[in-house]
Amino acid sequence: MNVLSATGEALVLIGTFFYFLSTLGLIRMPDVYNRMQTSTKSATLGSLGVLVGTGFWAVGKGYSWAWIVQTLVVATFLLLTNPISAHALIRAAYKRGIPLWSGSVVDKYHEHLKKKEETVEEAPIEGDAE
Amino acid sequence: MLKRSLAIITLLIIGYWLAQGLAGVPFGQDKMLVGQYYLNHVEAQTGAINVVTAIVVNYRGFDTLGEVTVLFIASTGVAALLWGRKKKRTAKTEGSVVLTTGISLLFPFVLMFGGYIFIHGHLTPGGGFPGGATIATGFLLMYMAFISYEIPHGKFEVTEGLVGMGYVIVGLIGLAISGYFLFDWIWQTWHWGAGNIGRLFSGGFIPVIYTLIALKVGTELSGIIDNMLKEEVKE
Repeated sequence: MNVLSATGEALVLIGTFFYFLSTLGLIRMPDVYNRMQTSTKSATLGSLGVLVGTGFWAVGKGYSWAWIVQTLVVATFLLLTNPISAHALIRAAYKRGIPLWSGSVVDKYHEHLKKKEETVEEAPIEGDAE
Repeated sequence: MLKRSLAIITLLIIGYWLAQGLAGVPFGQDKMLVGQYYLNHVEAQTGAINVVTAIVVNYRGFDTLGEVTVLFIASTGVAALLWGRKKKRTAKTEGSVVLTTGISLLFPFVLMFGGYIFIHGHLTPGGGFPGGATIATGFLLMYMAFISYEIPHGKFEVTEGLVGMGYVIVGLIGLAISGYFLFDWIWQTWHWGAGNIGRLFSGGFIPVIYTLIALKVGTELSGIIDNMLKEEVKE
């Protein structure tokens, strides 16, 4: 076993571990926002580990270098798109009025929306604004 | 309750019946008759190394022509059903800054990847339909992120028609050369790319037809999205 395969195997192992943590967070966390936080972050990291690890592993096993290029492309794509989708999901959840966990302390966004509404003054409430 | 349990029992009976029927088919044994012929002759007869696309475009091109027709009818049908005098997009909230920026950055890459898929139809998995669907996904993303985004209708509809005609014309050239429709004249008559199997410039007319199909599917699905996202506005 050479260095490349060993690195790849280690990366895949780390990636699967983070996948596991992400699933655990999905079960364990109390509300939508916390669940999204844990699952998005660790699933993205886990995917990066597994993808790049697979690339290294394949090259170490004697397959062509194209493996690394392709896995890196997919990894970059995931790295750029996963946060955007998480952002869109969370924002939609907040706009639909899904409440924060009962133990949450600060909700600055709510205050910000309130202040904005007051400055607009007597404007008809848009219904889905908060 | 009675209705539901009756439905479950019926489904179970149907499932058991299907399983009984399939139990006679042995798994893991070589049962290929026509399949073996395709596997043995695909490179010599079509110049493609992707057997699936070779079968879909070359050996059984009529099916693909039918599928393209079905998609065309679907798109026309949606347009006919949702035909109204004044239709506009009525989306209220613009996507957040993160979303709009991200998607305007992502859009060209989605289109490029769609192009990659359909150009390499004879070499890698994919082909015209997945490539076209990817392109339509790019336009769907633009629709989702921006309130007032609209596809350039005139150009899209003209492209759709021209490209569909192109497919038939390629088939008709084959008819003129050899006597049957969708004959692969680029490969069989010209032997173009014969020393090049497994590289980009090979595969007879598969890349040509898949480019046409992908443009057709992409413009059609984008048109369906456009029709469905619009609503009638009252004067």
